[in-house]
Amino acid sequence: MTTATLQTQATTRSADGARALLVAAFLGLGLVFVAGFAPATVLHNAAHDFRHAQNFPCH
Amino acid sequence: MIARLLSAALVAGFLASVVATGLQLALTSPLILQAETYEGEGAHAALAPFLDAAPDAPFAALIVPAHAHAHGEGGHDHGKAEEWQPAPGLQRMAFTGLATLVGGVGYALLLAAVMLALRREPTPQSGLVVGIAGFLAVALAPAIGLPPELPGMGAAPLVLRQSWWLMTVIATGLGLYLIAVRRVPLTILGGLVLIVAPHLAGAPQSVDTVSSQVPPAAAAQFAARSLAIGFVFWAVIGLAYGWAWGLFGREAGTRANA
Repeated sequence: MTTATLQTQATTRSADGARALLVAAFLGLGLVFVAGFAPATVLHNAAHDFRHAQNFPCH
Repeated sequence: MIARLLSAALVAGFLASVVATGLQLALTSPLILQAETYEGEGAHAALAPFLDAAPDAPFAALIVPAHAHAHGEGGHDHGKAEEWQPAPGLQRMAFTGLATLVGGVGYALLLAAVMLALRREPTPQSGLVVGIAGFLAVALAPAIGLPPELPGMGAAPLVLRQSWWLMTVIATGLGLYLIAVRRVPLTILGGLVLIVAPHLAGAPQSVDTVSSQVPPAAAAQFAARSLAIGFVFWAVIGLAYGWAWGLFGREAGTRANA
């Protein structure tokens, strides 16, 4: 293995990690928003007891 | 890497939500149902449409100041009587479980993102540490200013409370990072300032805290139980994420060698 391949691998890995980080953060924030914050009444009513129990500010 | 992270977060969120749903149904949901009987104070489901239609009805005054809308009583702050809500009993429990699952997977993904950003190899131990940090930042710190509330307790406007909650979570998370990860005197000082600042600024307080009919004992019990469940939730998310990360790593390794 040459230094060049090692470098390419390292770059690919960190780009891969950055992508995974963005996907995880974006999906995570989206799901937490839906469960804990979404103002739609239907979502609020469905998640009501969870929001109270997990101390999300609720109605 | 993305597949491994998403799988591990799904497993962790699922396991944690199973545990937390059981605890919520056993410990907090009964208190919520009990509090909702005070929220309506004398209004029954059959009366709710009438209340919406005639806000001048004598007993409507009991409801409006304490709380803008009556949960589980058919009334709502949008003035519409027929907003969907889960039916009492099994359906409501199922939706509580579903919401816990969505929230649990969401938290697990955020925990995964934080561990990746910190370049910590996820193990049950390192996961637990980040999970406890998550509990401190997301559950405990906001609860200092905005204690977990039962329905029917007076509270400041929602948007103010949500903004303060979000600000406190971000400040506490950043503060913990500066203290625990950076660990030099300057960042520790900055971290402490960040953690304390939201509480010095003060959480939005309710104008009306005395008129609530909810028994103080129930409210106190609810706050303590809510935080206990939050701790278990985060601890299981962290432990299970570290465990599942190792599990899926081994499986990928086995496949690659085969």
